[in-house]
Amino acid sequence: MNWNKDKSIALSRICTAVFAVLLLALDIGCYWIVKWFSDIRPVPWQYSALRMAAVYLCSVFAWLLLVHLWKLLGNISREEVFTEGNVRHLRAVSWCCLGAACICLVCSPVCLPFLFIAGAAGFMALIVCIVKNVFQQAIAMKSELDLTI
Amino acid sequence: MEIRMNLDVMMAKRKITSGELAERIGITQANLSILKTGKAKAIRFSTLMALCHELQCQPGDLLEFHDDV
Repeated sequence: MNWNKDKSIALSRICTAVFAVLLLALDIGCYWIVKWFSDIRPVPWQYSALRMAAVYLCSVFAWLLLVHLWKLLGNISREEVFTEGNVRHLRAVSWCCLGAACICLVCSPVCLPFLFIAGAAGFMALIVCIVKNVFQQAIAMKSELDLTI
Repeated sequence: MEIRMNLDVMMAKRKITSGELAERIGITQANLSILKTGKAKAIRFSTLMALCHELQCQPGDLLEFHDDV
C-alpha cells in the first residue's frame, strides 16, 4: 500500500472523529457506567455523584481538546504547519490535558483509577507542551529562513 | 547596531529598476523589496555575488555597518 502524509492526516482525522463519537457515548452513558461501577463496589451516593461530576468536567476538556486537534489537523492538511495558530492549538491541547489531570487527581481519593488517568493526562500535557515549544522554535527558524534572500 | 543595505542607492547610480534587477539576478521582486527595505535577516553569498555582478560593485558598496547605540 502506498502510504503518504495525506493518508496519515486522514487517518488522524478519522481517529479524532472516532474519539469524538466515543466521548459522546461516554457523555450519554455516564450515568449507567457510574451506576455499574457502584453496583460492583457499593459506595455512598455522594461518591457516585462526584464520579459523574468528574467525568462531565473532564468531558468538557476532552471536547475542547478534540476541537483544537481537529483544527490543527485541518491546518496541517492545508500545509499551514509552523504557524502561531497551531502553537495556540497545541497550547490549548496541553492545558486541556492538564485540566483533566487536575480534576482526576482531585477525584482520585474516591475512585483510584482516576489517579492513573490523572498521571496519563499529566504526562500527555507535558509531551504536548514540549511539542508546542518545538513548534515555537520552528516558527522562529522558518521566519529567519523566509527572510534569507 | 545594524547592517544596512544600500541597494537602492546603488540601483539609482546604475539606473536600473527593481523589476529588471530582480529578473537579472533570478529572485522575485518581493524578495528584492525585502532586501531594499532592510527587512531581510540574512543574504546568501550567491545573491550577494549576483547583485555585485549586475551592479558592478563590491559587497562593501551594498552593505554598511552602523554602530548606533
